[in-house]
Amino acid sequence: MHHVLMDQWSRGSSPLHARDARAKILALLVFLIVLATTAPQAYSTLVIDAIVLAAAILIARLPLGNLLLRAAVVLPFSILFGAISWLMGDPVRGQGLVEKSYLSTVSVLIVVGTTPFAALLQGMESLGAPRLLILLAQFVYRYLFVISEQAQHMRIAAASRQGARNQRHRRSRLHAASGALAVLFARSYQRAEGIHRAMLARGFSGRFSTLEGRAFRLSDGLFTAAVAAFLIVVRVQ
Amino acid sequence: MHIPDNFLSTPVWAALDAVAVPAVGLMIKRAGRDTDESRIPLLGVMGAFVFAAQMINFPVGVGTSGHLVGGALLACTLGIAPASLVMTAIIAIQAIVFQDGGILALGANVFNMAIVGVLLGGWPYRTWGAASKKRAIFLGAFLSVMASGSLALGELTLSGIAMPRPLALTSLGLFAISALIEGAITISVVQVLERMNPRFVPAPERPRGPALATFGAAALLLGLAGFLIASRLPDGIQNLGLQLGLASKTAFHSPLADYSAGSFDSLWLRRATAGLAGLLLIYSVCAATARVIGRRRSA
Repeated sequence: MHHVLMDQWSRGSSPLHARDARAKILALLVFLIVLATTAPQAYSTLVIDAIVLAAAILIARLPLGNLLLRAAVVLPFSILFGAISWLMGDPVRGQGLVEKSYLSTVSVLIVVGTTPFAALLQGMESLGAPRLLILLAQFVYRYLFVISEQAQHMRIAAASRQGARNQRHRRSRLHAASGALAVLFARSYQRAEGIHRAMLARGFSGRFSTLEGRAFRLSDGLFTAAVAAFLIVVRVQ
Repeated sequence: MHIPDNFLSTPVWAALDAVAVPAVGLMIKRAGRDTDESRIPLLGVMGAFVFAAQMINFPVGVGTSGHLVGGALLACTLGIAPASLVMTAIIAIQAIVFQDGGILALGANVFNMAIVGVLLGGWPYRTWGAASKKRAIFLGAFLSVMASGSLALGELTLSGIAMPRPLALTSLGLFAISALIEGAITISVVQVLERMNPRFVPAPERPRGPALATFGAAALLLGLAGFLIASRLPDGIQNLGLQLGLASKTAFHSPLADYSAGSFDSLWLRRATAGLAGLLLIYSVCAATARVIGRRRSA
């Protein structure tokens, strides 16, 4: 699954990995806003933005081809809408949709690929995201793969019991699917209660404690300032 | 339907971000009052469940299958405000980890699916659930998916993405079909859950104040507005957008005319200042409303 891949990427070591999560989040936001307000035909700006991203990928030593391929998840959607705009006599907008949405996705992937998810959430919290929401996101991410795996097992079990695709018994398959979903619901519920008891037993204080507390260093601030200043100057020149 | 970045024009995504922040804040306030810390693991794991539920396919029609979206199911089992927060966390993870939906468009996606979608998903159950449970749950699930889809389409249209009318109507029709499927799935899952253990689906507590009815009606109106905007001819919308100054300019003029050399002139500055002031206004109105409602409910 990709998530394992992303987690592997984010544990690398490079100057970009070493930056504080907050510095990267802020730089990403500046990049996205600058890109969103760039005209689709300002080719020089777009090319410089793309070069910035390419440089970031090289500095972070992320696998270039793999990352560009993963960013392509957005392409079917944006090419569809781009084609519609093009057919409606607005080719500029269509072109902008495709190139800008792809660049945005690459930039998000670079930040996610150089920052462990826990550090990313911690950074968001110290930038003002509500604690309850961050706590929830941590739980969802932690159990996402556990419960997906359980769903996968149930799907395989159901398929091997009733034969793969039998359209005549659609009604019974519908029943089986809703039963499976309800069982998954009940198991998740039960798991959550177990988790809570275990957390209490270990003295949970309402906040996940992490090993490395990371200070926002001068170099982080310089990084964000430099990236933001460069992008904005390129945008308005 | 997750909107990626750069599909919405800047005024649209910025305004929706400004609306979504206080709205989520209100949901946090209400959820915090109704639930204690012990429910947090439950909410998180149920969010993971909604993710996993997408892997279980429901056969519908010839060769097609649907899956649970989950807003209404969560609203009926966990309560509206907690469900809304769970959906917000899910949408954020989808945007960050899976690149499904944009970062700047996060406000729009959260507003469509986690605020309006969950409000409409739980509103019929809270209001009529005691009288006719099945119908209320079905209606909630239907409205939740239909409104989220219509809103997303309406926002795209407002952003100036031109769409031929037959295509817009077809997409609305597809949304209606998936909304019906969502209703059917939600009902059948709730029925099995009730047989397993009645505590999974708490009886609907009667809404205590007018807040829920007001918000439900407002969400319904918004969904309807999205539907109308998306289904009208794009020409009319473009004119409307031009008048309101909503749609980005590149959609309507010859594109290079606007990108002239001296872009940092007073016009550029004035426009940016006006935009920022408008956003601040939207944000403060929403934040003030949220604060008033939060205070009144806790008093």
